[in-house]
Amino acid sequence: MTCQINFQSGWIDASALEFALRSGCEPHGAGVYEVIFLFPTGCKIMVDTAVRMLSLLDQLDYWTRRVRLAFDEGESGTMGYLNRMGFFDHLAKDIEVSPARPSLSGAEIYGGTNAGLVEIAGISREAKDNALLSRLTDALTRSCGTRTDAKELEGAAWTIFAELVDNIFSHSDTPLDGYAALQLYSRGKSLKVAVSDSGRGIMDTLRPTLKTEFPALDVLSDLDLLVEVFRKGLSRHGGSRGCGLKGSAEKAIKFNADLDVRLPTGRVLLTPGKQGYRPNTACCYEHLPLIWGTHICFTFHLDSTR
Amino acid sequence: MNEKSTVLQLRDFMNTPEGWGRDQGREIYNKLIGFVEANPGTMIFKVSLRNVKRLDISFASETFVELARRYRGYKGFCFIDLADQDMRENWDAAASRKGQPMMVWEGKKGRVIGVEPSQGTLGAFKFALERERARATEFAAATPDMSIANASTKFKQLWEQGFLLRREDIAESGGVEFTYFRIG
Repeated sequence: MTCQINFQSGWIDASALEFALRSGCEPHGAGVYEVIFLFPTGCKIMVDTAVRMLSLLDQLDYWTRRVRLAFDEGESGTMGYLNRMGFFDHLAKDIEVSPARPSLSGAEIYGGTNAGLVEIAGISREAKDNALLSRLTDALTRSCGTRTDAKELEGAAWTIFAELVDNIFSHSDTPLDGYAALQLYSRGKSLKVAVSDSGRGIMDTLRPTLKTEFPALDVLSDLDLLVEVFRKGLSRHGGSRGCGLKGSAEKAIKFNADLDVRLPTGRVLLTPGKQGYRPNTACCYEHLPLIWGTHICFTFHLDSTR
Repeated sequence: MNEKSTVLQLRDFMNTPEGWGRDQGREIYNKLIGFVEANPGTMIFKVSLRNVKRLDISFASETFVELARRYRGYKGFCFIDLADQDMRENWDAAASRKGQPMMVWEGKKGRVIGVEPSQGTLGAFKFALERERARATEFAAATPDMSIANASTKFKQLWEQGFLLRREDIAESGGVEFTYFRIG
């Protein structure tokens, strides 16, 4: 069976990605042998959606689905943007692209010169790249250097990347690479910091240890448990660990950042509150099409006057 | 006699000016243990963060916070040259998670991060911070309505919780008297 995912025209954020996935059939479904993604004219992919999609595409290719990406506008449209961020450099070689894969990597041509965009960074457990974090956050220095809080912002983004990327090394338990990217939007008014992996997902690794490490939390729903992970810090390794995600959240909340977490079949939006992150219950999604891994995006809302 | 202290440059143990991740932290932790064990006479290690650009919470947790916890009560680790707010927050978050107090010194001014002393021991802690060494008898004498036994209990708690170090001395009476030291 062929599964066709049709995107809409306009911005494709994480919600629009979910909408498109739910409108089609399950890409990971048992009877699916081919998955086609259609990008119409005027469709623009946001950075967090791009890294999430890249993980999904890796997974489909790894589980031997035939995958094709069809871009109506060719390189003059969203395909060109994806190329600039290095999307096609990371895309599995067997995935077909129409009209054709870009002949040159935009990330290699423009690398490091776009003030607000950082090329997608691959996170490989086999070849740890220690300069990765600086490359990701240097874009902030280039484009936010005049802000009075530039140093604090850069430090927050760096720590968030460090903790999320380290989590991939420590917990994701998959041969597939993870991805990280950063982009400034709306002339510096918002910043997205996104990290994605194809592992078992944070809940799958945490849940089995709850009975022994945190018995009181064993009864919580995935949503409430996720709030605890970011608010109090939890780790399958016990009480003295788990400070990374909590610390990341504490840095992000100073910038009034929203937090979007996609789990294998669910998605949770967390908004900043006085006591730390709290779930945005108006936007909880369950029983979503399967995407393996944990996909996290912090959206910073920046005061443009600083 | 002052207790011997040694300045340790964290950057000398790192391959790059940035430290992140548990794996890198553990690697450096092993090197640090080697350094500590190679300096058996040193009671206090002043950890200079000069030339360290950034570090994350996991790295902080696996290096000096873990080291301070391992040697709690016997050797102390404090930070100097820690001007960066972001780095200070990360040390604080890591130390707080492990319930390990860590001292940060700016010149002669010291403050504790990670864990605060309880209200009951705060006075004794402040007394100890103001001098190189302190004894329960001195604290009791300087504090209204404070018995020597009570002062001694407070210092002992601070020692057990990792806020202070101590040395066993022979009192003039011939008994054992502890001398307590601030870390730094």
